[in-house]
Amino acid sequence: MAPTAKMNSWSWINVWSIGTVLIAAWVVLPIVAVLYIGLTPSDEIWTHLASTVLPLYISTTLQLMIGVGIGTLIIGVGTAWLVSTCRFPGRRLFEWALLLPMAMPAYVIAYVYTDILEYAGPVQSLLRDMFGWTTKREYWFPEIRSLGGAASMLTLVLYPYVYLLSRAAFMEQSVCVLEASRVLGRGPWRSFFSVALPLARPAIVIGVSLVLMETLNDFGTVDFFAVSTFTLGIYDVWLNMNNVAGAAQLAGLLLFFVVFLVLTERFARRKQRFHHTTSKYKALPGYELEGRARQLAIIGCALPVVFGFVLPAAVLGSYAVIYFEAAANPEVYRHAGNSVMLSALTAFLAVAIGIFMAYGVRLRNERIVRFMARFASLGYAVPGSVLAVGVLGSLGALDNGIDGFMRRNFEISTGLLFSGSIAAVTFGYLVRFLALSFGSVEASLAKITPNMDGAARSLGHGPFSTLTRIHIPLIRGSALTAAMLVFVDCMKELPMTVILRPFNFHTLATYVHEFASDEQLGEASLAALAIVGFGILPVLVLSFAITRSRPGHTKKDQSS
Amino acid sequence: MKGLHIVGVSHAYGENKVLDNASLMIPAGELVCLLGSSGSGKTTLLRLAAGLERLQLGKIVIDDKIVADPEVHVPPDHRGIGLMFQDYALFPHLSIIDNVTFGLRGMAKPKAERRAMEMLGRVSMTKYAQSHPHMLSGGQQQRVAMARALAPEPKLLLLDEPFSGLDTNMRLHIREETLTVLKASGVATVMVTHDPEEAMFMADRIKILGESGRILQSGRPHDIYYHPQHGFVAKLFGLMNRFESVIVGGCVEIPLGKIRVKGLGEGRPVEVLVRPEGVILDSEGKDGPVIDVISTHLLGHDNIVRVRLSDESGAKEDEKELYVRAHHAFEPELSNRITAGVDPEYAFIFPLDDLGGMAGAGYTAWPQPHAAE
Repeated sequence: MAPTAKMNSWSWINVWSIGTVLIAAWVVLPIVAVLYIGLTPSDEIWTHLASTVLPLYISTTLQLMIGVGIGTLIIGVGTAWLVSTCRFPGRRLFEWALLLPMAMPAYVIAYVYTDILEYAGPVQSLLRDMFGWTTKREYWFPEIRSLGGAASMLTLVLYPYVYLLSRAAFMEQSVCVLEASRVLGRGPWRSFFSVALPLARPAIVIGVSLVLMETLNDFGTVDFFAVSTFTLGIYDVWLNMNNVAGAAQLAGLLLFFVVFLVLTERFARRKQRFHHTTSKYKALPGYELEGRARQLAIIGCALPVVFGFVLPAAVLGSYAVIYFEAAANPEVYRHAGNSVMLSALTAFLAVAIGIFMAYGVRLRNERIVRFMARFASLGYAVPGSVLAVGVLGSLGALDNGIDGFMRRNFEISTGLLFSGSIAAVTFGYLVRFLALSFGSVEASLAKITPNMDGAARSLGHGPFSTLTRIHIPLIRGSALTAAMLVFVDCMKELPMTVILRPFNFHTLATYVHEFASDEQLGEASLAALAIVGFGILPVLVLSFAITRSRPGHTKKDQSS
Repeated sequence: MKGLHIVGVSHAYGENKVLDNASLMIPAGELVCLLGSSGSGKTTLLRLAAGLERLQLGKIVIDDKIVADPEVHVPPDHRGIGLMFQDYALFPHLSIIDNVTFGLRGMAKPKAERRAMEMLGRVSMTKYAQSHPHMLSGGQQQRVAMARALAPEPKLLLLDEPFSGLDTNMRLHIREETLTVLKASGVATVMVTHDPEEAMFMADRIKILGESGRILQSGRPHDIYYHPQHGFVAKLFGLMNRFESVIVGGCVEIPLGKIRVKGLGEGRPVEVLVRPEGVILDSEGKDGPVIDVISTHLLGHDNIVRVRLSDESGAKEDEKELYVRAHHAFEPELSNRITAGVDPEYAFIFPLDDLGGMAGAGYTAWPQPHAAE
């Protein structure tokens, strides 16, 4: 077969595979740029960084990751266990309400809690009034603008990742396994720790890895709280020390954290596949909780929802009413327009490119095409700060190249075409969120039998016509969902937008960030509320999916 | 020449070789069945012919035009080949009529719809034109799939296990219908199946695939049944009684009697396969070895009778139990001495030492009066 392989080694070359490989290369470009700039020898910045701020960045980042990791683990797994295996009043409500904090960007909740908990805020004022304190020295109150504060904020909005995945894992666990364990003499409590938890471990690990990726990505919270994480360090070195090489070196180092997280996640996913011992699902009977346990369960599920969503949303809502005149100015509407325009553009492009790539992989399932597609969908794990450095680095090089070429040949200076334009922002968004659309499009394409392709092709339709007339109509639902997810993520995106946006150009997120950082939360309340409003969309979709797909639960079970 | 010509095709999925130097000629205007077990590469052959799979080695020619060799790959949409899948692959989001018009590209809409209705009429599905695939039964979906495949008037129609998704009763019925429609349209058809009975029923010509796409025998159903050239082919059609023996004096002796053989040298070890209808039971009990009836199973017109040769027959232990096809009127209880003989027309002899080079080897028994000499 050797000659065969040789003859056909270039046969994968066609529009689809070339396109897929080119798109993938283009998406990977910023990451390559970061590594390139970071590895290019420059002045003594690195030794300087290493001896001064680097240890601080590393230890702060690690502490934040540990704090958020443990926090989301406890809240996420605990609430998931309660709603999936116990029975208590309000369980059905909590099942989806526990997802609500997902709608809150961490920076928004940080502004709100700072506003409430700072010295002049209502809580401390109330305490002072009640106990007659007059100065700060007379009592102790936790400082919200601290590492612990940042960890709490991130935990409150990120635990739904862990909740969602571990809940699904608990639901899928065959009731037989759990019952077997109880019959063998283990109580519910021990069954949880010795059977249910280990079985759900891969799902939990995936959830926590995603949470930690988001933690590394966060800029708004740590910036506001002045917690010196890597991400903040990158911006500090870049913008305040004006040293791109140093920023790129930090970014490259941060990538190591990311690689570790991605590998952990991938490893857990692989393990997950072997964990289903039986496909016989039955509705979990559930432990009926009574008395004290019942109250504790209700409180345990209510607290994350109240602190992660209800309270901050209420505060924002009240501010929006009080400061309506100031908050609802035409500028805000313009920023909202910018946000919607950018997000819609990105969502459309991400889904279109996702469909193109997933179909390319489907058409020619060659190793290189598949590999490039996988590689291109790693962007979700790379923190926005790193991507921002990479996008500006690569677009800057492109701009200089074009400028140089035009000057030499036409004596025109084109200046910076892409850097600092909407194109740069869109590019950054695409790199980060392409995985979202590619993943869901690929998953739903996989559900279409290849015989559909075969039938359409043998009936005289080429690959493109087959795509538009068969595949796209069949995957429309999940493509729209993917577009919505990308749209909402773009609406919330802050770390890249802050850097890549054109001069004097605001989105809702950057506007909120700017005003809230100036302690003008009232003015920003309406914009923040708008972001939260959009953020609720995916929560609705997810909760709809939750109530609809319940392995082993028939309609009758649900009504009873 | 007209038709499908597959020359020296080898194909592998990764390490797994499915076709090894397979060659196949299918003349136009015939209904040819490729009969083979799973792993014989029959579906791969269809997919290669249709262009759904890229050819690795060899050549595929349709109507004198090379459609695939290691350099050329005519895409499936330019081959003019109709294809019908095991799961029918109807497009779930399109109505039945839209499914059928899907292949009528470039035809004006009213004309395409007229043509589609005509095709649906041929499979008696006109009244479902506006339905969607999920509303139809398996048999109805099969008919629509056929109408869809035939609508663009393909040069060649490929059917991949077209009846395997149907239950037994339905299958007989649909099979007959399909045959009528195919004959009426006159399209050259290649059908892949693993069901010998189905192949016998449908085919003008059967090609039997062994491992890796090797053709073991090709011929009309009658030839395949009465003159199998390979033990494997003979065994395809149901139960067989198997004996081992050697050639002595131009004959082979089995417990049921002697059979004359032509063309095999003295002393060669052979395998003798006797169809159940080739075992003749004699309730008068005159000649041949005595048998005991173990059980009888009524199949309708015939009985399948399990019998056991008596110890005096001298048969080897693993050759004592036989399957016999007997007329339904056969009533073993009424007789206390039954003997068995062999009808050489249903006995096939294959050399056992002919390792590998079976192709073309076929040694039929000489017709001679039944029972031993």
